[in-house]
Amino acid sequence: MIVVRDLVKHYRSGDGSVVRAVDGVSFAVEPGEMVGLLGANGAGKTTTLRVLATLLTPTAGTASVAGCDASADPVAVRRRLGYVSATTGVPDRLSPREIFGSFGRLHGLDGAALADRVDRLVAALGLGSCADRPAGRLSSGQRQRVSVGRALVHDPPALVLDEPTSALDVIGARDLLDILTGLRDAGHAILVSTHRLHEIERRCDRFVVIHGGRVVAAGTRDELVGPGGDLEQAFFAAVSGAEAR
Amino acid sequence: MNGWRDTLDATLAVAGFQLARLRTAPRLALAALGVAFPALVVLAVRRAVRVDPDRDVWAVLLYALVPEAVCMLGLLVTMCPAVADELERGTWVHVATRPGGRRALVLGTFVASVVWTSTIGVLALVVAVIVGGMSEPLGLILVFTGLVVVSSVGRGALFALPAVVMPSRALVASVGVAVVVEYLAGFLPAIVNQATVSLRLRSLLVQGLDWQKKIPAQLKLIVDPQPAWVQCGAVVVLAVVLLTVAIVILERRQFPPSEEG
Repeated sequence: MIVVRDLVKHYRSGDGSVVRAVDGVSFAVEPGEMVGLLGANGAGKTTTLRVLATLLTPTAGTASVAGCDASADPVAVRRRLGYVSATTGVPDRLSPREIFGSFGRLHGLDGAALADRVDRLVAALGLGSCADRPAGRLSSGQRQRVSVGRALVHDPPALVLDEPTSALDVIGARDLLDILTGLRDAGHAILVSTHRLHEIERRCDRFVVIHGGRVVAAGTRDELVGPGGDLEQAFFAAVSGAEAR
Repeated sequence: MNGWRDTLDATLAVAGFQLARLRTAPRLALAALGVAFPALVVLAVRRAVRVDPDRDVWAVLLYALVPEAVCMLGLLVTMCPAVADELERGTWVHVATRPGGRRALVLGTFVASVVWTSTIGVLALVVAVIVGGMSEPLGLILVFTGLVVVSSVGRGALFALPAVVMPSRALVASVGVAVVVEYLAGFLPAIVNQATVSLRLRSLLVQGLDWQKKIPAQLKLIVDPQPAWVQCGAVVVLAVVLLTVAIVILERRQFPPSEEG
């Protein structure tokens, strides 16, 4: 469903030097699977997700969603992908219902189909009590759920989330991850980037660890974590190993 | 959905979204001020001169107050901050990741800005004409409604460009564009003023009020004698070119994450 192959993305920095943000990353996410993209700040996670979301064009390699290439056919990818950025960017003055409606219309939904979709999202995300309240008066957790709902308004088969729990407390993070788990179980392909490993250790089916723009480890939790260890230890081991090389 | 239908639906969605965002107490208060301002000036003039100015004097005053001042200020506070806000605060990515999203961001914001500003301009015009007790009010309202729409369309497109080129300084850049392009180049009797909205507005004003034979020869240098449809067509062409350039810039622009997560 989500396939990243030999992805390279270089930026030219202000002083003219080339920054290798992503340098040959490959991985895939299948339908009904949730994959954690792990890495420290500056590892290349956000760049990778932005290439998938058609916000950046790759220097080399490919990123595709449901068989559509993000560079060659970005519009097709946009129809098939929901993207949740690190900043929620939820407009304070509009209610969740208005936000879902506006973004649904961006995908050509209208009338009864749009109203039905909005009602389903409000119910699925547990926003019933605040669906008509301005988003500026919602809690961080509720705003993040609105952000996820906005990404799901066109019912995409694939969902990409950048640090979705970073601004949430423990309960908000758990609630959001419960929602993501439900979506995964419903058959969505989910790619979630984070550096809060403990939150997703038991939630994701597989993990991809990137460091310095390269994949330094990948696999299921059992494959990455040795006997008696935890994901954090495995992460540090993978990153340290990469730095030593 | 595909092609132009995609773009139209997305544009209308963004326009509705931006209009909803404009319906706040501070924005509505600013709009009410925009509606009242020309009427207050007209009242002040009536009190000061003590005799009723003739229709042409009122027309010059209305021109300066409504299609110029009110429309210019209305567009400055809606068009460029709206696009720039989206780009600066990162909210644009949620629109840009939709089919036709980037062009809808420019076009939808443009439509919302033109609708918002034109509505304020026409209301301001009607109130000022009534308060001023001007002769032949319907004729004045019709001519100036046209000028308000032309001003909003042309300058809305003009302000789209600074918003996408330098979003962090969009307002300052737009004021600079207004001063340099509209009020400096627009008054130069040279080829450069052909690409300004102010030349078209002045020319439409002269034709709309049948001033062709009244204005002194010196002022004829800063109006264009072509018929009204040419003036309107020129503004439409200018708006299409400016919006197309803004869209092309935004479509090609890449926004690397300032901080890698």
